[in-house]
Amino acid sequence: MRKYLFPFALMFLLGVTAPSEARVYLDINAPTLVQIPIVMPKWKAADRTPPSVPEKIYEVVARNLTLSGFFKVIDYGHLPPALQKKEGIPEGIVLQEWIPSGGEILLVGDASLEPQTLTLQVRFHFFDLVEQRHLIGKQYEGHVQALRHMAHRISDEVVFQLTGEKGVHTTKLAYTLLQAGGKEIFIADFDGDSLKQVTQNQSINLSPVWTPDGRKIAFTSYLKRNPDLYLIDLEGKNLQLFSHNPGLNVSPSWSPDGKQIALMMGMGGKSEIALIDTNGGSPKKLTNSHGNEASPSWSPDGKSIAFVSDRAGTPQIYIMANDGSNVRRLTFEGNYNTNPSWSPKGDRIAFCGRVGGRYEILTLGPDGTGLQQLTNNSGNNESPCWSPDGRYIAFSSTRTGSSKIFIMNANGFNQRPLTPSKGGESSPAWSRRFE
Amino acid sequence: MFRKSWTILILFLCLGLLFSGCPKKTVTMNEAAVADEEAAAREKARLEAERARQEQELKAQEEAARKAQAETEFEKSLVAKKTPGIEGEVLESSLLKDIYFDFDKYDVRPQDADILKANATLLMKSSTAKIQVEGHCDERGTEEYNLALGERRANSARLYLISLGIAADRISTISYGEERPLDPGHDEEAWSKNRRDHFINLSK
Repeated sequence: MRKYLFPFALMFLLGVTAPSEARVYLDINAPTLVQIPIVMPKWKAADRTPPSVPEKIYEVVARNLTLSGFFKVIDYGHLPPALQKKEGIPEGIVLQEWIPSGGEILLVGDASLEPQTLTLQVRFHFFDLVEQRHLIGKQYEGHVQALRHMAHRISDEVVFQLTGEKGVHTTKLAYTLLQAGGKEIFIADFDGDSLKQVTQNQSINLSPVWTPDGRKIAFTSYLKRNPDLYLIDLEGKNLQLFSHNPGLNVSPSWSPDGKQIALMMGMGGKSEIALIDTNGGSPKKLTNSHGNEASPSWSPDGKSIAFVSDRAGTPQIYIMANDGSNVRRLTFEGNYNTNPSWSPKGDRIAFCGRVGGRYEILTLGPDGTGLQQLTNNSGNNESPCWSPDGRYIAFSSTRTGSSKIFIMNANGFNQRPLTPSKGGESSPAWSRRFE
Repeated sequence: MFRKSWTILILFLCLGLLFSGCPKKTVTMNEAAVADEEAAAREKARLEAERARQEQELKAQEEAARKAQAETEFEKSLVAKKTPGIEGEVLESSLLKDIYFDFDKYDVRPQDADILKANATLLMKSSTAKIQVEGHCDERGTEEYNLALGERRANSARLYLISLGIAADRISTISYGEERPLDPGHDEEAWSKNRRDHFINLSK
């Protein structure tokens, strides 16, 4: 029997992080994902800190790790009685005694609140129970108002240590929600919390997209009796008319360098894909067919644009070079494939396809190989969009009745609704990380 | 004897008159007759022209009255409609009928051509009203593609109306995609009502 003791005091003096060997616990690209069991004893309230403070952090972190899809969280309520009583970060820890918990990773933490300045200090450590070693310890400090944000950053760090890439717990999603007399833009955190209404104009507001800096949302609105493209900040202020060509101005996709926007534009009585400079200037038509063109999506290398066209009779996904040349058809299965969304790593294109009378989320390589169906026979599923790390896809689904935003891992696992709302949600768009 | 000579004299005079005046008088009478006939013809033509003019005037009046009535009828049928969150007020008429589309299609169906012709007749009678064709889709399929489809559906009707003689600058289009269903249901009965072009009057 080997016991593992770690001198924590020394560690904090040395500056928080301890070097850890680069071991990736989870290959998130594996076709089947095994969830790592992670045991979370109760977090401790240090000194006179109200117990609700570490409780809240614990709750957000545990939920985040569950939502990430990478972990099976074993919370303290489900531990053997002897372990349930243990809380916080002990001076010395005997890893061996945590084996009966069933976890492979142990995550411990505490929080202390300075009553004068309301400065919150959160410390956490985690250990590999299989190899019986310390992995990392960190400490975050900030105003107590940033509690949730600190919990998100802790979650990101855990995901980074165990999967080799940071989580997306500081990201947000924008989407539309049906309201009496209109359809408004809302935003929520990745975990569905901090719901906020952005537009409040009773008009039809559609297809929200984040600007690359994450500070504004572009969307289409019928305010002036034409589907024009607007920009608005996250507080719902500074509404700015951006593109108001007569006819459609919908579905903007920023080029990776941020200089150009591809969008759907009504030209000559039908929808085309056009390019506009972010600084203004007249639009340049990229498509040249008799069909209707829709939903452009840039490749992350900036060289290509995926889009929808019904030039061959039914809507299908096509790819063209960023000057409109070299058009090739990507999808051949089924007679309705729309809403392409190019993954941030460039290796997959998610789209909505009709399979057996239902609308499902599928992905495909940009070379047309490796078709995968991610949703199956549970309502209609539309409008896929990727998280900035490419490990999740948000989409809308009618599986529980009225359309709601769902999130799943990019391999289709762990499908769950974003919020506990009644429905009426559509068109999700994922932000960059807010760190 | 004296009486006899008077008689002869008178007789001669009469003969003289006969020989000198009669031919002349005959000519004069012929000319008068021709003049009369010409005058009569002129009068007749004048009357006819007058009658024709009156008839035409009457016709024009009747036509104007009919048109005015149609216009009044059309104008009477217009109901103002204000949509929250959308700029301006529009006028809707129950006389302008919707047309419908097959799933995923945007071509005008043969059975809807008569509706467009009736709409065109109405629009031609009603002077210069600006109209807007709204293209709508059912809820199936994706929002963005449906916006493209609605754009095309609206334009199909627009082009048809232009081909029937409505001035192009009188007709604009707008696509509402699947955002404004007529029937909130989720079956084919609702969907078939929602795949439509709706016509509104933008004047006033």
